[in-house]
Amino acid sequence: MSILDTYTQPLTAQTAAHLLRRATVGPTQREIAVFTGLSATQAVRQLSDSSESLLSPAVAIDSSLSTTVGQPFLTRPYSDTSNDLYLTSVKYWWLALMTTQKTPVNLLDKLTLFWQNHFVVTSDVVSDHRFINRYLLLLRNNALGSFETLLTEISKDPAMLCYLNGNENEKGRPNENYARELQEIYTVGVTDTDGTENYSEDDVKAAARVLTGWAYTNYETAGTTSIDPAFDISKHDATDKAFSSNYNNTVISSRPGTPNSFATTGEAELGALVTMLLKHASTPRFICRKLYRWYVNPTITPAIETDIIGPLATFFASPENNYAIRPVLEKLLTSQAFFSNDTIGTIIKSPIELVLGALRFFEQPVPDMVTDTNAFRNYFTYAYDAMRSMEFEVLNQPGEFGYEPYYQTGYSRTWLTSVTVAERNKFTDTLVERSVGVKPGFSLGIDLLSWVRTLQSNFDSMSVMPAITCEQVLASFTENLFAVNLSQSQRDFLIDTIMMKNAPRSSWITEWNAFRSASNDAGKRTLVMGRLESLMKYLLRMAEYQVY
Amino acid sequence: MKRRDFLAAASSCLLPLTINGFGIQSPALWQSMSISGTPVAYGDRVLVLIYLNGGNDGLNTVIPLNQLAAYNDLRANIAIPENRILRLIDNTTMGLHPAMTGLRDLSNDGKLSIVHSVGYANPSQSHARSATIWMTGSDTTQPTPTGWVGRYLDNRFPGYPTNYPSAQIKSPLAIQIGSLTSMALLGNRQSMGMAISDPNTFQQLVGSAPTQPPGDAHCCDAGELISFVRQQQGLAPSYASEIKRAADAGRNLAAYPPSTEQNELAEQLKVVARLIHGGLQTKIYFVSMGGFDSHAGQVDSSDTTKGHHADLLGKLSAAITSFQQDLKQQGTEDKVVGMTFSEFGRRANSNASRGTDHGMAAPVFVFGSSVHHRTIGAVPNLSALSGNAANRDVPMQVDFRQIYADVLNDWFGTDRTLTNTLLYREFPTISLFSEIVETVASGSWTNPATWSVGRLPVASDYVTINTGHTITVSQTVTVKNVKLQGKIQFTGSYSIKLTS
Repeated sequence: MSILDTYTQPLTAQTAAHLLRRATVGPTQREIAVFTGLSATQAVRQLSDSSESLLSPAVAIDSSLSTTVGQPFLTRPYSDTSNDLYLTSVKYWWLALMTTQKTPVNLLDKLTLFWQNHFVVTSDVVSDHRFINRYLLLLRNNALGSFETLLTEISKDPAMLCYLNGNENEKGRPNENYARELQEIYTVGVTDTDGTENYSEDDVKAAARVLTGWAYTNYETAGTTSIDPAFDISKHDATDKAFSSNYNNTVISSRPGTPNSFATTGEAELGALVTMLLKHASTPRFICRKLYRWYVNPTITPAIETDIIGPLATFFASPENNYAIRPVLEKLLTSQAFFSNDTIGTIIKSPIELVLGALRFFEQPVPDMVTDTNAFRNYFTYAYDAMRSMEFEVLNQPGEFGYEPYYQTGYSRTWLTSVTVAERNKFTDTLVERSVGVKPGFSLGIDLLSWVRTLQSNFDSMSVMPAITCEQVLASFTENLFAVNLSQSQRDFLIDTIMMKNAPRSSWITEWNAFRSASNDAGKRTLVMGRLESLMKYLLRMAEYQVY
Repeated sequence: MKRRDFLAAASSCLLPLTINGFGIQSPALWQSMSISGTPVAYGDRVLVLIYLNGGNDGLNTVIPLNQLAAYNDLRANIAIPENRILRLIDNTTMGLHPAMTGLRDLSNDGKLSIVHSVGYANPSQSHARSATIWMTGSDTTQPTPTGWVGRYLDNRFPGYPTNYPSAQIKSPLAIQIGSLTSMALLGNRQSMGMAISDPNTFQQLVGSAPTQPPGDAHCCDAGELISFVRQQQGLAPSYASEIKRAADAGRNLAAYPPSTEQNELAEQLKVVARLIHGGLQTKIYFVSMGGFDSHAGQVDSSDTTKGHHADLLGKLSAAITSFQQDLKQQGTEDKVVGMTFSEFGRRANSNASRGTDHGMAAPVFVFGSSVHHRTIGAVPNLSALSGNAANRDVPMQVDFRQIYADVLNDWFGTDRTLTNTLLYREFPTISLFSEIVETVASGSWTNPATWSVGRLPVASDYVTINTGHTITVSQTVTVKNVKLQGKIQFTGSYSIKLTS
């Protein structure tokens, strides 16, 4: 028996919520209910089956010289004056995909985010919105597919050619930027677990020469409509590229493609390079380790390396799987290790999981990008800025290694500093205060009073139905809110100290009934609201809410 | 040292020793030249770390004036023209990038130490790995999970964060300007530093510490993580009032680059200067600027003195110069030193895209009124670079941990044995904070490797021949004075002339 074996117990609300928290940016109560009772296999299959949705393209979130608000723009000739607006539109469109989950909830968007943080391109460096849009679609369309395809395509993706200077890489004095990261952070990694170097500096130079000649086209060029990559044989180094023993002394020679054209020469050499990288024993391990850290636990013990990373990597690279991503992810997410108590609650939420997760959990409806564009813009401007204040700027990692908490010592703990802890509190407080307007009649946030009223049957009729208790309010507020269970002493503290502020619990009954008898009375309403707000603010500031 | 000791030592030499002017000084002088001569107690001293993120191009920062032909050969498309290179007093071997007029002046004022070719053995050319090596102070082959500053602070302030802040230690131990904390500050349990984005609003932002429910530890990994989160939540509010007090009390007295120039480093150093002026006791400040990973277009195509790298160096120079001026006007100049570092230098050869790929060693700037040598080490020898024709790299002369060791020993007054533990072994001094050039090994006087500063002593240097070292003198040399604890062997009729 192995901890990579399938978890066979039917999902409870807690394990269903755990799966959904990890596989998406965060679930709604309804989704948790739907997934409860399924087997892990059924649940994960459903999450990946739902992932084949067709997308409507982004539309302009504001008016510019060439487009009016709500209109598509991706096929329009490039113009500097509209670019910033379109770039923001693409970013918000991506956030909306993660938040909306229009098709049944799926794992594709969180996985796309994983690949975006693996094959990082940032909009600070690559600011042509068409490049970013194409890059995002490439990641999303291949996220569950073949890693070989993904790696091949990203190597000649215009955004990547721009971000890591593939465009400037030409024979004679090659630019090594992409060739290094291709090995160090996309495939083999610097060293293996035993400290052996996985590639040499000469391998970096050789890989750079293989990739000479690739270029993007029409970057931020006014009036253009196409951004396909190009291969310029005159800038390609056609001599042999010899690799070290790390790659079994592979030699990549210039080879005519079929049909024999310039472009296929470039393709053929790139193909040979990708094949060589995928044959390296460290590549599948490197990717599986990163998936494990992203989905399961940032800490990889020697036992995990042996029991999970090794077998998963073997399966990933096996002839029958041939680097298909989906089966590997499904294996990981249905494993006993994934559902173990040692896994639940072991990651600090990233800002995206905190912010978008809360918007989803508290069912803040995403306004339609096309028909309710201004509201859509307000909604995501708020989310975007909130995440940025917590050191997660969408599509703008600090460098090619991605966000620090995914690779730096301490991993997800790195999200928390004096400043970001405070920003997290500020964000959740705002949800309780409902102080951010999206459009007339819609402020972001939790309508606590309506929530508690739904708990109270026969609201107006105190003689028929006694008042709901503090305990019931707390139970409802905390249902599926945390990954871990609260202790009885915590529950007592939350009621007596936070909600009741040391008044007897019976006061709540009196106050609630007073409100029921005169729900238009501002004073009675304020008293009740004060208790509910105090409780919910505290719950969302709790350390338990920061982990998942 | 007593005069007769010196004579006795001298008489043990194999050949006659002549001393010009007999400038043997009283013991008081030697004491006053050591770091204890400055009035600031170790405990009040501050270190400012400036991280240049991305790998700074050393050869276009400090330019080898004495080897311009080779320099141009290596990097014709990005080379700075000879007539634009900034000249330094008493130095014909090197000059500075034209954007760094402020640092030129600082060097000429004796407040800048340029440490040449700093790196480490078996250098990694990966950003993440090499940055980790610099931040943790570890060997390439022995990565450690804690930062070098973090280990120092953890040892000096044991138990942190439990029972901190205290009546004695009111300030954060380390501060990083921004919202993240660097790996350099990571202690055995957690970061020893606190992120502060804006000292004006910090207290308001972090609010008050949450009331924690009674004893209710969760189990397992999740429980440990939750405890960590709780501790983080409580820590910032507990320091907030002291930070507010310092921010309110402190002022910037010098002019900084206007905000329109978007000099992120200047903005950060401005906050640091203000907090120092306001009396915060924080020992370490960490600031950074990004953009140094100049694979392409590091210079303008029409003018190599302009462009991306020139902008960065201009900002770096202006920020440090304003900061140093601010400290001077505050009267805190003698309690603060700063140093720049970057994960690696860049390739000596440029690439075709007017950029440079990842390289090896590069210069480090150490600044403040307490540094004693304008240069440490020698301009890299461009005819002795490592690598093959198209891929030449600057080999290291000074291990980066030699700088850390001098900071810990001589700036913070750490016990040497402890420093060796914190840095995992002993690193020879480079005399960063000492006027005295000392021997680090037996050998020839004319071998740069004999001397702590990695170059030969000059006429203005005090020299100590350390116990156990025998130094061979094969020509007449001139220094300010000599303290002889080891031996000098003259191979002929030569002398050591003393100028004081």
